[in-house]
Amino acid sequence: MLFHHCASEELRRTVLVDLAGQAHRQNRLLAAMPPNTLALLEPDLREVSPEQGAVLLEPGDLIETIYFPLTGLISLMVIGKDGNFIETSTVGREGAVGLHSGLSRRRSFTRATAQIGGKFSTIRAARFEHIVNGSAAIRDVILRYTEVLWAETQQIAACNAMHGASARLCRWLLQSADRIGSNEVPLTQEFLAQMLGARRTTVTLLAQRMQAKGLIRYRRGRIVILDRKGLEACACECYHVMHDEKLPRALGVNL
Amino acid sequence: MPMYYFNLNDDDVVVDTDGTDLPNVGAARIHATGVARELTSKGGGILTQSWSGWTMSVRDEHGTELFSLTMSDFGDGPEQ
Repeated sequence: MLFHHCASEELRRTVLVDLAGQAHRQNRLLAAMPPNTLALLEPDLREVSPEQGAVLLEPGDLIETIYFPLTGLISLMVIGKDGNFIETSTVGREGAVGLHSGLSRRRSFTRATAQIGGKFSTIRAARFEHIVNGSAAIRDVILRYTEVLWAETQQIAACNAMHGASARLCRWLLQSADRIGSNEVPLTQEFLAQMLGARRTTVTLLAQRMQAKGLIRYRRGRIVILDRKGLEACACECYHVMHDEKLPRALGVNL
Repeated sequence: MPMYYFNLNDDDVVVDTDGTDLPNVGAARIHATGVARELTSKGGGILTQSWSGWTMSVRDEHGTELFSLTMSDFGDGPEQ
């Protein structure tokens, strides 16, 4: 009986550890790490669920925590002198925020906000740096991800300069849906307007038209993508260029 | 502050369902101009390819039109 108890207890623990590992692997970067490398991080990974709108980092903040979204979405934003801001990147389950602080202590360049609340795996930066020091595999993931993010940032800079609000809104909805793994994007028009650097009326009119064409359904604070192909046809090419599977391949990066 | 509504008209109507709180009609004019620039800049995308025949009708909360803009007066270059 005692034996059975121990065996089942051991089994239970193994299952729990596996389940925890499975949960962390919803994040592409954690999934990209070899199992024995992920095992090094696992004891220090904590799951948190920040609320929608929670500010995780302000520009200049010392990065104390690294965030690996499992669900939800983090926005990186550059803040203007007048307090206005524009989104420069989004990070969902394909990425992480603060990852480069694994190389050494770093400060945030942008504001990072939990734009869509969800579950994030986190690790303290000091602990992460210590583990990275002994792991070439994690350093490699950091470098590969930094390359992809660098390319994406260049594309977004070009997109903001080259493409109109309509094409960028379509691109943004598709990319966000991919990164949260759901066709339901819980965001207000007010927020979308800030992201696009446009007035809310502009987003309302575009969303009305998109709804009339059957591409989306929207109510206050929630947009549902109904016709993905139709939306892709209205998005700028940046959606495909920055696609989370295509961009690493285009760069020859294995992620 | 009063609410102002910024509808688009061509053959069809795109209704500003939300409206915007603004202090007066002068502010509504500035807002309308800004929205028109944002919509026409670098192509009309899902709204239109040409803007020919499109107007923005700015209304108060009773639905009375205060003024309108010709959308083709805005924009900054060739369509996408």
